[in-house]
Amino acid sequence: MAALLRPARWLLRAGAAPRLPLSLRLLAGGPGRPHAARCQPTARAAPVPGGLLSQARLYAIAAEKKNYLQEESAASQRRSASQFDWALMRLDNSVRRTGRIPKSLLQKVFDNTCHSGCPGGNHALLLLRSCGSLLPELKLSERTELAHRIWDKLQELGTVYDVSHYNALLKVYLQNEHKFSPTDFLAKMEGANIQPNRVTYQRLIAAYCNVGDIEGASKILGFMKTKDLPVTEAVFSALVTGHARAGDMENAENILTVMKEAGIEPGPDTYLALLNVYAEKGDIDHVKQTLEKVEKSDLYLMDRDLLQIIFSFSKAGYPQYVSEILDKIAYERRYIPDAMNLILLLVTEKLEDTALQVLLACPLSKEDGLNDFGSFFLRHCVTMNTPAEKLKDYCKKLKEAKLHTSPLQFTLQCALLANKIDLAKALMKALKEEDFPIRTHYFWPLLVGHQKEKNVQGIVKVLKEMHEMGVNPDQETYVNYVFPSFDSVKSVRAVLQENGCPFESNIFSQAELRSEAISGNLDYVLSFLESNTLPFSFPSLRGTLILGFRRSMNIDLWSKITELLYKDGRYCQEPQGPMEAVGYFLYNLIDSMSDSEVQAKEERLRQYFHQLKEMNVKISENIYRGIRNLLDSYHVPELIKDVHMLVEREKTDSQKTIKASSSDLESTLEKLKAENQPVGDTLKQLILVLCSEENMQKALELKAKYESDMVIGGYAALINLCCRHDNAEEALNLKQEFDRLDSSAVLDTNKYVALVKVLGKHGKLQDAINILKEMKEKDVLIKDTTVLSFFHILNGAALRGETETVKQLHEAIMTLGLMKPTINICSPLVTLYLEKDDLPSALETSIDCYNKYKILPRIHDVLCKLIEKGETDLIQKAMDFVSQEQGEMTMLYDLFFAFLQTGNYKEAKKIIETPGIRARSARLQWFCDRCISSNQVETLEKLVELTQKLFECDRDQLYYNLLKLYKINSDWQRADAAWNKMQEENIIPRAKTLRLLAEILRNNNQEVPFDVPEYEDEKDSLNTPAPSLEEVNLQKDLLSACLRKKSKDAYNIFLKAQKQDVVFDSETYNNLIKLLLIKDSFTQAMQVKNFAETHIKGFTLNDAANSLLIITQVRRDYLKEALTMLKTALDQGQTPSKIAVTRLIQACALKGDLESIQAIQKMVNGLEELIGLSNMVFINNIALAQIKNNNIDVAIENIENMLTSGNQTMETQYFGLAYLFRKVIEEQLDPALEKISIMAERLANQFAVYKPVTDLFLQLVDSGKVDDARALLQRCGAIAEQTPIFVVFFMRSSRRPGKAPILRSLIELIPELIEKEEVYTSIMKSCGVDKDVSSAKALYENLTAKKIKLDDLFLKRYAVLLKNAGEPVPFPEPPESFEFYAKQLKELRETPL
Amino acid sequence: MAASATRAALALQASSSRPVAFVRKIPWTASSSELREHFAQFGHIRKCTVPFDKETGFHRGMGWIHFSSEELQNALQHASHVIDGVKLHVQAQRSKVLQGDQISDEEKDF
Repeated sequence: MAALLRPARWLLRAGAAPRLPLSLRLLAGGPGRPHAARCQPTARAAPVPGGLLSQARLYAIAAEKKNYLQEESAASQRRSASQFDWALMRLDNSVRRTGRIPKSLLQKVFDNTCHSGCPGGNHALLLLRSCGSLLPELKLSERTELAHRIWDKLQELGTVYDVSHYNALLKVYLQNEHKFSPTDFLAKMEGANIQPNRVTYQRLIAAYCNVGDIEGASKILGFMKTKDLPVTEAVFSALVTGHARAGDMENAENILTVMKEAGIEPGPDTYLALLNVYAEKGDIDHVKQTLEKVEKSDLYLMDRDLLQIIFSFSKAGYPQYVSEILDKIAYERRYIPDAMNLILLLVTEKLEDTALQVLLACPLSKEDGLNDFGSFFLRHCVTMNTPAEKLKDYCKKLKEAKLHTSPLQFTLQCALLANKIDLAKALMKALKEEDFPIRTHYFWPLLVGHQKEKNVQGIVKVLKEMHEMGVNPDQETYVNYVFPSFDSVKSVRAVLQENGCPFESNIFSQAELRSEAISGNLDYVLSFLESNTLPFSFPSLRGTLILGFRRSMNIDLWSKITELLYKDGRYCQEPQGPMEAVGYFLYNLIDSMSDSEVQAKEERLRQYFHQLKEMNVKISENIYRGIRNLLDSYHVPELIKDVHMLVEREKTDSQKTIKASSSDLESTLEKLKAENQPVGDTLKQLILVLCSEENMQKALELKAKYESDMVIGGYAALINLCCRHDNAEEALNLKQEFDRLDSSAVLDTNKYVALVKVLGKHGKLQDAINILKEMKEKDVLIKDTTVLSFFHILNGAALRGETETVKQLHEAIMTLGLMKPTINICSPLVTLYLEKDDLPSALETSIDCYNKYKILPRIHDVLCKLIEKGETDLIQKAMDFVSQEQGEMTMLYDLFFAFLQTGNYKEAKKIIETPGIRARSARLQWFCDRCISSNQVETLEKLVELTQKLFECDRDQLYYNLLKLYKINSDWQRADAAWNKMQEENIIPRAKTLRLLAEILRNNNQEVPFDVPEYEDEKDSLNTPAPSLEEVNLQKDLLSACLRKKSKDAYNIFLKAQKQDVVFDSETYNNLIKLLLIKDSFTQAMQVKNFAETHIKGFTLNDAANSLLIITQVRRDYLKEALTMLKTALDQGQTPSKIAVTRLIQACALKGDLESIQAIQKMVNGLEELIGLSNMVFINNIALAQIKNNNIDVAIENIENMLTSGNQTMETQYFGLAYLFRKVIEEQLDPALEKISIMAERLANQFAVYKPVTDLFLQLVDSGKVDDARALLQRCGAIAEQTPIFVVFFMRSSRRPGKAPILRSLIELIPELIEKEEVYTSIMKSCGVDKDVSSAKALYENLTAKKIKLDDLFLKRYAVLLKNAGEPVPFPEPPESFEFYAKQLKELRETPL
Repeated sequence: MAASATRAALALQASSSRPVAFVRKIPWTASSSELREHFAQFGHIRKCTVPFDKETGFHRGMGWIHFSSEELQNALQHASHVIDGVKLHVQAQRSKVLQGDQISDEEKDF
């Protein structure tokens, strides 16, 4: 009884039952089933292996069911997903997709199950059940062996079997046609104290029947009857098989009648059993008859049933009937996986021809030629050693049927993977016949196979085959796949010769060369190149040489080899010769190194270039430029000049043009000098050209010659040039001269940095420090790149071992506060000693940094070195310090990482297992990032492994990092292994981890064995648990929408929040209101405001929002509200914006609302300056309001009084009435205009106040009333003399588009204005803005006729205008930018001569 | 060869932005020379790599093609790339972030 209860208990175990696949539950629940459940799926145990194809269906159902259940409880149970789920998922997925389980997958799941300790019963069941017909690629005997292995192993691990397991094993036996003794089996169960149940007996009957043992079957049947166990259809079906196999077809057929008598109607299973036995006898007639009979009945045979009949026919040796059955197939939706299974099974059974027949009959859309079908068949044929001839024929047929585009290629790949050289050879020949090229790399997998065993004979054989196939091994073949199998490269040639293996001497020699180069043997390379008689081209050697150079630091050999290549005609035969070839080689050499490598080898490279120079090796200008850019980007511009020495000057065209221009400039310069004209510009230009030519000598000479004419820009360029040329002395001199010229001038940051660098490098520390000081004093902008440059300067010095330089410069940078102390900037201090292997000092320095700046630079590297050297005392010291200052935990982590880094995993393990240690995610992440960036796979794997039991360790995050690294390396196998380990550890991966994993698999053309989570899910699950998070997120979203000026989005978020009763802070509402106001969404803004006011106590709009609100209200003509708003704001002590107040006043004026204006005037009294409000705003608008109210005379009287009374509030030249005049003109208040005009003239004529009349004149012109303006001018000639007012008008107008015609009319009215520089400049600017070419032309001609000297800015503007209009420029266009000339003019103006 | 060397040299000037095509799903029958041959129609190729796994002797179906300059766009715009009857997946390799600004002309100083 206990045995019977066990499965029930197992089922009742919490959580397990509902998640079980249906089929497993049925199995487990067997004992309690009622009598004769006709369609019970498990009962459908047909006696032939093919019959068990139905297993696939069961699995599929199970999987679907499981999915459904999972979805239902997804959210709540995701976290409790267990190892079992994972295993089930993997197997289910496979079955669902392909109808089978690959052996490797089952093996993997099995291995994992073993690792996980004691597998549960459900787990064991799952594994056992998979060992039958779900493994069509395995021979029947192998499947059973596997089942036994699993059975024994799990038992060993402590799994307790119940009857369900025995039944499962029986089933596997049946499916695999395993011959066994049922009595022994029962005895075994008895021994284990397990009670057999109905299913057990049923299956034992089937076992007897399978071998035609009716007697044995009857015994069991009798036993069942005594136990009063029900006899089901399955038993009768088995009996059909049993009688038939015993040779008694009559009785077999009779079983159906017996069944009916017993009250059981024969179902599809019984008929299938009958059909199968007919097929086994080759009795096609009876098969057909029976099929017809079934068709006529209400029974229905499925495609997979028909597939079984096909299997029976072919297995029994009647393949000729297969096509007749194929004709009857209905091609149901699930047909393809079933057919694939049958095909594989047939191949396993060596019935490949039938397999192909079934394959070809598969209904596939054949139009899409890119989807190959049949690969699984070909692969399995290769595995099962199908003869080459057959395979070739299959490939042909598949191609003809358009099922597969490249079957031969695919089969060849399989053969190569399986290392089947003869098959591969045959296939290659076939390919060759099809004119498909046989390529060298096809042989690599074969070589790899032998390489693993260092099988020299095997290698030789493959090489011979290659030769036979007409494929010559190339360099790569030799270097990567042949040489490694030999003890030495030298021996290869001899072995090949001995074995009569032909090889091409040329290629072989190159391979030898490459192989030696890879090991850095440059001596060999040199002597080879010297003695070599083969025609090698330089490009073919380039890669090899670069490899060799980088692996050897013997600069003499570098140079000698380069010289040889350069000078020896054998290697540089191309027309352009050695200059291009060697130059390109140099470029590639530097390009192939990383920036740190170049930095570290700077001195050696310099030495190399100098030796090349001495050897008279030259490179072209183009190449030089490429190298220069590279060196710049590597932060080693000091090397540029060393490369520049190599540039061949005469040959290249571009060089000539520059040279011409520099010599031109030089002669111009001399001419100017002779004519005693200013030479500053030309001199500077020439110096710039020389600098770009890297001609320091000449540039310095020039400077010496024209010292008095030097300008600041010239010095700046020269200083930089000298820094590049590592000429500290001269750079410093120039800097001093520069200072003398203008001590306030500031260089740009890069030049200061270059100075510091070069001075520091030459030991001029005090000077370097002075430069740093100047940078501080002149407040030079410190950019991110500057900080990086500081680091490079210090680090460079540290690598060179310049202790004082590092220390003093570092000290200066820190004390001056040019940048904050960071780990980065302090690390060179420690590097200094690490480089010298002076570990005590390194540690001391790091500790010192901690005492000063609270940072511990490079402690990790220090520790690693200490560990490597076994400096226990120092390690102790370091640890004591860290412990004391940063705590024991930090110390443990430091030590842990150092041990890991140095490969001392045992020690690392001990550290991380220290009781009480907890996970520190930031530190772990730091180390992960480090491993990822330096691609340390093993170290990271160890980290992940060793932290497995670390308390509170975010395992998923660690695996995520590991996967990131695998992704970089495209290593899906390891990724897959990591995924398995995660399962092993029972980690519930986050969605991002799963997505990353899926990405890796997909990128590598692997199936993704799980459902990839969508992005949405994660977001939702993140938002739901913490309401505060929700708020924060909403607010964040809202602010971000505001930032992006998405007013609608922002408002919607507000509404959403409102619904959820979420209240943000005042700042957020203010932001939203501002945005809504800017977008003119007034109503919404008010809604938000109301909400905020009712939900936040004391909510007020801030200054900016208030001002915006006022402006909007004015725009919408809500003047009263705006006035109230202004009052509120002022009452709250806010400062409204000038524009808000002005708009309100102006609006009031246009309404004639004098009172409001006066009220505002009172309100802002005393705040005018703060707001930036001019009194003229009130004067203009009060007058306007009065005029609007028809009090023209009052308005005029007031103004006149202000201008003529003794106590003037404002100086007359600032008394601008332009606004009033414009409004009066615009509003066509003609009577007022007339009176105002009289007033203005009177003021001019009687009081000599010309400002109003001039303003009026300008407003008339501006409004297009040119005639009125002309009349006014005629009446009042003094207007023409108000030049300063005009200048301002011109300059202001030129900034706005469309003003060119107005300016032109003004010039027509007052022609003499044109000679004013500001005026003509403004007109040209305006022409430029309006693209008015004709006006510009007229202006230019006018001015040149007047012989006015035009400045560069003017000419530049004109030239650009002409050019853009596609017109010729009648003078050389000034070469510099607008900004340059503008600056120049400004300087000129500001420095009075 | 001479011509290509010149072109290569010219290409060096534009080396700051190096256009690289990342190619996936390369059939096992093709190696870098086939890739090079195919992509040469779009412009000059500086470098073409299809790394092989020395453990298996097969490549992993991925490769990188370093073009000289604009050619990458030509290649990307091409409707489909087929080698040995297999359609390749071609995309632009994301370039590494350039460090800092290297431009400083004397004019901008003053």
